[in-house]
Amino acid sequence: MTDNPERQGRVEVSKLTKKFGTLTAVDNLSFSVEPGRITGFLGPNGAGKTTTLRMLLGLVRPTSGSATIGGQSYSHLSAPQRVVGAALEATNFHPGRSGRDHLRVMADTAGVDTRRVDEMLELVGIPAAARQRAGSYSMGMRQRLALAGALLGDPSVLLLDEPANGLDPEGIRWLRMLLRHLSGQGKTILISSHMLAEVEQTVDDVVIIANGRLIRQGAITDLPTEHVATVRTSATAQLVAALTASGLSATEVDGSIQVVGRDLVRIGDIALRAGLPIYELRANENDLEKLFFELTGDEANRNTEGSP
Amino acid sequence: MGGAIIAEFRKFFTTRMWWGMAIGVFLSGAALAVVYALVVPGLGTGATGGTGGPGGPRFPGLDNPSMVTTVYTAGLSTAYLLTLTVGVMSIGSEYRHMTITSTFLATPKRVRVMVAKVVSLLGIGVFYGLVFLAGSVGVGGITIAIKGYSPLPDAGPITRALALSLLVLGLWSLIGLGAGILIPNQVAAILISVGAAWIVLPLIAVLLALVSWGKPIVPYLPSEATTAMVGQINTSSDVVPLSWWAGALVLVAYAAVLAGVGSLLTVRRDVT
Repeated sequence: MTDNPERQGRVEVSKLTKKFGTLTAVDNLSFSVEPGRITGFLGPNGAGKTTTLRMLLGLVRPTSGSATIGGQSYSHLSAPQRVVGAALEATNFHPGRSGRDHLRVMADTAGVDTRRVDEMLELVGIPAAARQRAGSYSMGMRQRLALAGALLGDPSVLLLDEPANGLDPEGIRWLRMLLRHLSGQGKTILISSHMLAEVEQTVDDVVIIANGRLIRQGAITDLPTEHVATVRTSATAQLVAALTASGLSATEVDGSIQVVGRDLVRIGDIALRAGLPIYELRANENDLEKLFFELTGDEANRNTEGSP
Repeated sequence: MGGAIIAEFRKFFTTRMWWGMAIGVFLSGAALAVVYALVVPGLGTGATGGTGGPGGPRFPGLDNPSMVTTVYTAGLSTAYLLTLTVGVMSIGSEYRHMTITSTFLATPKRVRVMVAKVVSLLGIGVFYGLVFLAGSVGVGGITIAIKGYSPLPDAGPITRALALSLLVLGLWSLIGLGAGILIPNQVAAILISVGAAWIVLPLIAVLLALVSWGKPIVPYLPSEATTAMVGQINTSSDVVPLSWWAGALVLVAYAAVLAGVGSLLTVRRDVT
């Protein structure tokens, strides 16, 4: 199976467009996802992430453009579940059917046996609960069941739509380790999220879209972050003046000072020379989140027509 | 393809609906067979308030093979309302609970999904047909024997009618499959299709029989084609029923058109 070209899973989206009536949900979108890396597919709600994933999976017909997996469109894959594992919304279960039976239905077409079903239930941590009817499951259990379904055919590509939704912090940590492990096996992994912070520690690459258009694609370390430091002192106005006089951009925000740049030593030296005490001096951690809002929040990128 | 068919059967037998329906099908077969065996033979339709009027056509006695067939298939028009519902739900519940997503991910060639549904529904029709016959022939046959008649006076036509009952239930589930796709809301689809088959079509049959140009159309309605197919005695009007094979062809045509149009729509429709 490993020499099957379908399993060399590079995901390629090329000039993809989808119009629902007058709404353009996805607009001339192009990006690629590489094997062996975890890619975050990011954008605000209604940006077109789910529509893009559904076109990639042959569920929605593109207005124009193409979306391929290992060079093939999904509907042309001969054994799709062995190439691509997908978990879209974690609500797609019949409430009267047990989680285990849901997976056994999937196993019938994937060509795997019931033992594999039980192994996957073990892996995602719901072996006992899976024998109850799915209507009683919590959101976290549904996410785990959806993930078990995606992994059933041991696919080389994983497409997960908001997989951390409904997971508790421990579950998110568990998911992160599992995805790291799978990506280490050379699998292509794409996870969508509307929150950068949620996937920041998990992903290697990011594809950021807003209003159906590509905003940025690249390694997460290449994102141009504007480093900001926070300083607190007794005489805020005096320190702002001293910092500005030394050529730093400093502004007062809620009683503390935000300084552009991460040179904490220099900020401390300037305060010492000015004879001012320092109560707090730290580099801000959530710069990526701010950047994300800046990138996706432009007036031109805001989706004013609502999601389809 | 084989996997997709097995998956369809597993979907059906892993929720609780199937045995509820089985009880309904068994009871409709048994109860109506008993009522028909005890009350109907020798009845004149005029006496029961039918359209025949006094001196109109009468039901024969239980020594007549056609009467025995009518007893055994009396509950069929109730049972096919249940398999019609099974057909609606086979597609309707997939859209309602959005399991259609994982169905199409597993089998992206949607024509195959629809073929698998058709094959499995015909199989499920045979299954419910056997449950139906267990009720109607089992309980109805005992009733006939207690009344002192042979439960099987002429094996040929009766066996054919019983075998065709298995097909009738499958074909009505395919009509349901088509209705379930054409009417996207599952609850609405069940109410409309059962209401149409149970109340609207019989009403249309009665009204059409009153006018000269309507009379030739009546035998081609799905309900009339079904009763013709299993050779039930028809005393309700002076409309000439179709022969059993023509009735079968008409019902197959309804099933093929509805399931076919539904499949075409399903193949083209976006799943959002």
